[in-house]
Amino acid sequence: MAPRWRGAVAAATLLTVALAGCTSGGKSDSSSAGGPVELTMLTFETPNLPASLWDSAIARVSQKVPGVTIKKLVTPNVDRTTYAKQLASSGQLPDIMMAVNPQGFAEGGQLADFSQDELKDFASPESGAINGKIYQLPTNAQPQSLLYYNKADFAKAGITAAPKTWTDFLAVCAKLKAAGITPIAVGGGGQDTFASMYTWVGTVGTDVYLTDPKFSQEIADGSKTFADPQFVKAADKVAQLAKLGYLDKQGTSRSYADHEKAFRAGSAAMYPMGSWFASSADNDKPKFDVGVFAWPSDDGKAVVPNLTGGGLSVSAKAENVDLAKKFALEWTKDKETSDAFTKADGTFNTIAGYQPPADMGPLFKETLALYNQAVKDGTVTPALSIEQGDNGLPADLTVPIQQIAVELLNGKSDAQAVVSKLDKEYAGLK
Amino acid sequence: MLRRVREFSGFALPGLFLYGVLVLVPIVWTVVLGFTDRNRFAAETNWVGLQQFQRLLEDDQFWLVLKNTFVVTAIVVVVPNVVGLALALLLNRETRLYRLLRAVFFTPVILSGIVVSVIWQSVLRPDGVLNAVLVDAGVTDAPRWLSDPGIALFSISGILCWQLLGFCVVVYLAGLNAVPQELYEAAIVDGAGWWRRFGSITWPMIASSVTINTVMLLISGFKVYEHILVLTNGGPGRNTTASIAFDVIEKGVRGDRIGFAAAEATIMLGIIVLLSAVVLRLLQRREVNL
Repeated sequence: MAPRWRGAVAAATLLTVALAGCTSGGKSDSSSAGGPVELTMLTFETPNLPASLWDSAIARVSQKVPGVTIKKLVTPNVDRTTYAKQLASSGQLPDIMMAVNPQGFAEGGQLADFSQDELKDFASPESGAINGKIYQLPTNAQPQSLLYYNKADFAKAGITAAPKTWTDFLAVCAKLKAAGITPIAVGGGGQDTFASMYTWVGTVGTDVYLTDPKFSQEIADGSKTFADPQFVKAADKVAQLAKLGYLDKQGTSRSYADHEKAFRAGSAAMYPMGSWFASSADNDKPKFDVGVFAWPSDDGKAVVPNLTGGGLSVSAKAENVDLAKKFALEWTKDKETSDAFTKADGTFNTIAGYQPPADMGPLFKETLALYNQAVKDGTVTPALSIEQGDNGLPADLTVPIQQIAVELLNGKSDAQAVVSKLDKEYAGLK
Repeated sequence: MLRRVREFSGFALPGLFLYGVLVLVPIVWTVVLGFTDRNRFAAETNWVGLQQFQRLLEDDQFWLVLKNTFVVTAIVVVVPNVVGLALALLLNRETRLYRLLRAVFFTPVILSGIVVSVIWQSVLRPDGVLNAVLVDAGVTDAPRWLSDPGIALFSISGILCWQLLGFCVVVYLAGLNAVPQELYEAAIVDGAGWWRRFGSITWPMIASSVTINTVMLLISGFKVYEHILVLTNGGPGRNTTASIAFDVIEKGVRGDRIGFAAAEATIMLGIIVLLSAVVLRLLQRREVNL
């Protein structure tokens, strides 16, 4: 008969392994009675936004919010929304999150909403609302697609002014092509499929959202489909650009980083890109002068597809929700932090009275002037697949739209095929 | 013997427990989730029976990713197997040079898929090494290896073949070394040529190596994910290179449709199990035991 101790050792080993594998899940209670509250804050680091920038901003704002200690978390890659979902699945949703798409989290009751009083200093307090409530501070206005261009290429092609209408734009493209210059750079290679969108964002801005800013809501309530004539026209504009050979087809092989490098190396004359490129170009000047103009509509309006949001969100299950919201609001109002992010990422802080630093570069100032003019003219529009909340498309449609955009850029699909695919994808989500 | 098995079986329990918790329980839970409408942020989860499976079977994109997966798997099962055997026959010598060559061929196997994909991404770029060589050789319109939807899937398959080739070489070398030399000596004495010796001695004797390689390549091809993520993100275009594993992650991890993704994962599991069982059964019949 086997010695009883062997069975006991086996059972003890089993128990030890089982207990070692068990965790309590969620966050541990970090505060003792009367002590500071530890709140986790999800950040993301990029070449423009390094660890030192975040650390100094956290230290500065923490001094304005007594009783809070911030534990910084960093996303492993730029897809911070997916990382936040993974954390949420294990009950570890961070207390404060920077620029995480609130869709899904908000509807699932995982985020705290901000009151009208808390939003009184924001220029667009209704931006990004989900079911009428704000779950992400509408801190930054950031044009998502403008046309940055190589001034030397334009001069070489004999183009003396930025195009005002779509017809002018096509004429500019024709002149560039005739001069042996690829007119428009495109991206979307590797993991960076999002970079395929910027041309389509522009045409949907001019042809759909300019006259029908609620188009996404109409898709959601079923009163319109993607087969709407204006949406088809916007898609057809991109298809025509591809057909006429105005797009850099090699671009859809390039990652986002290579896409910018290629433009800087002179791969194409025009670079549809968000306002963050202005900061990048001012901080590290390309070998040529860069100008910028907005997307020209058929009748000459200068359209700026924009996203206002990108701020902090607060978990509804934070240990101290009020303190977390106070930190979020102080972060947004802290001029030094806002200046740092403006310089690093080309965002336009929307807090009332905020002025960007006087030493911002010329391209940033030109971009900001374009945006301010568009605000005055009423030609700021939502950005296709980037807008969030009630006026955005479902988050699950984002990747299909980006992939389908590549088909337009490659000339593999025409407008009708594309809108048909989109309608099918959307129906599949219901 | 049975008494000794009983004595020591207790020590296997921790390992069995870990296997159960980390492998079996997630598999069973995933299968169960496939019968629900689980959404990451929804307050309730409801049992919906076969509805998710039905939606999958009616979804064009599912059939597209399944087709992609079968294409990649077919290429990955055949090419490294054939080329691996040829290389093993060539490298089956005991000199320093050949030992070094074996190490060179095996190196990609130990690299992660992400590292391999990043390396090949730089090679296959429009201005990468491969196109530079082609342009120098006079090719005017160099292929867009990762952005042409007609080529991208084969580019990914080729990279996977490159990575797995070394594994096949090593397994075949082990199989070749297990073949008794007396059989070859007797065949030579009987006047058998190289091809006859290969067909009558080598091929039957390495049947177990063929089985191992085929099953491992089948599984590796079917669960391809990180290469697609890094190189094409499922594109160019809508899911032109997405595999079933990629689609499961897109829908259930990056997306919120957990029940739908679980149903897709269940189908993937079923296909892999069925194919592996069929392949094993067919190939094991060939195996020779002296």
